Amino acid sequence: MRQARPYSGIFCGGVSARTGPHALPLARIKKIMKRSAGETADGGARMISGEAPVVFSKACELFIAELTRRAWAATLEGKRRTVHKEDVATAVQNTDLFDFLVDVVMADAGGGGHAAAGQYDEDDGALE
Amino acid sequence: MDSASGFLPAAGAANGSAAGGGAQQQPIREQDRLMPIANVIRIMRRVLPPHAKISDDAKETIQECVSEYISFITGEANERCQREQRKTITAEDVLWAMSRLGFDDYVEPLSVYLHRYREFEGEARGVVGLGAPGAARGGSGDHHHHHHPSMLKSRAPGAMAPHHHDMQLHASMYGGAAVPPHHGHGFVSMPHHGGGHQYLPYPYEAAYGGEHAMASYYGSAAAYGAPGNGGSGDGSGSSGGSASRTPQGGSFEHRHPFASYK
Repeated sequence: MRQARPYSGIFCGGVSARTGPHALPLARIKKIMKRSAGETADGGARMISGEAPVVFSKACELFIAELTRRAWAATLEGKRRTVHKEDVATAVQNTDLFDFLVDVVMADAGGGGHAAAGQYDEDDGALE
Repeated sequence: MDSASGFLPAAGAANGSAAGGGAQQQPIREQDRLMPIANVIRIMRRVLPPHAKISDDAKETIQECVSEYISFITGEANERCQREQRKTITAEDVLWAMSRLGFDDYVEPLSVYLHRYREFEGEARGVVGLGAPGAARGGSGDHHHHHHPSMLKSRAPGAMAPHHHDMQLHASMYGGAAVPPHHGHGFVSMPHHGGGHQYLPYPYEAAYGGEHAMASYYGSAAAYGAPGNGGSGDGSGSSGGSASRTPQGGSFEHRHPFASYK
């Protein structure tokens, strides 16, 4: 079921000639950046160099991987094998680095990470 | 805890003036403020063992987190530009912001990635007759240089160049003052192969082919990027890298370098 093929080669030639398969779309990244960047002193729009989204495309990969790994640790802790939102919340709460995400993961989690403990999915057997 | 739209206010707060450099406020479409879910899932799957499942709410949460992450870093980079009265947020600003905000560990792999990107960009622009992208893979770097024998020669002495370039990136991140380019040039501008350089915008990258040096470089970076492959048979570079650095399949328990930055 894995379909990593087209994207797994990023570091062994995947960045092809011009556009290259960045794992995440550069235009989308740029849009999000635009919204977060303010105006320049003279009121003009802040510009974003073409390379900045390139850096982000890789950075977001690292970031997603990191967050997922930590969430999975929380999943295992609860002896489950489905990663839930609460696991992501737990990962965020346990990692100082991710403090800026607290509002995002707590948004509608209603009580937050502790909910994960002891909760089993229908399709989950307990893991040994 | 303000409901589902938690991301938006945060993004606005990051810059003080809500999202608008003059652009008219149109409702932001969902698909514009989040990364495509399929891409996010693909990256998640890469680090999870094959039997792991991901609930929909977890996917969406991670999706939100990615946007928040971009905003968070961009906000910091933006402030730096403001302080220094620059109009454009550069890749270096982004790297600088990451190291300021605790993502120090990303900086090295990202510098490598950026370096590679520039390299390919340089080639695409400067060298006519570039072969298929695949030709750039690991051991076949020679093929697309056959038009320019002089560049082949330049490779060996320049094996150090990539490191040099990274130092330069680092320097510009921390001090704001980049090492002057001619510094790097010194490594590669030996008289007998100077001819190749004109094709590349970054003189110190002309010798990118120092293949073995670079391979180990990417190897480690790939291990960083895709540590938990769990035997998914990834590309040669990354599987080599992860084999050497992380135990296959067990890497989610592997203590991440971040731990020391807390």
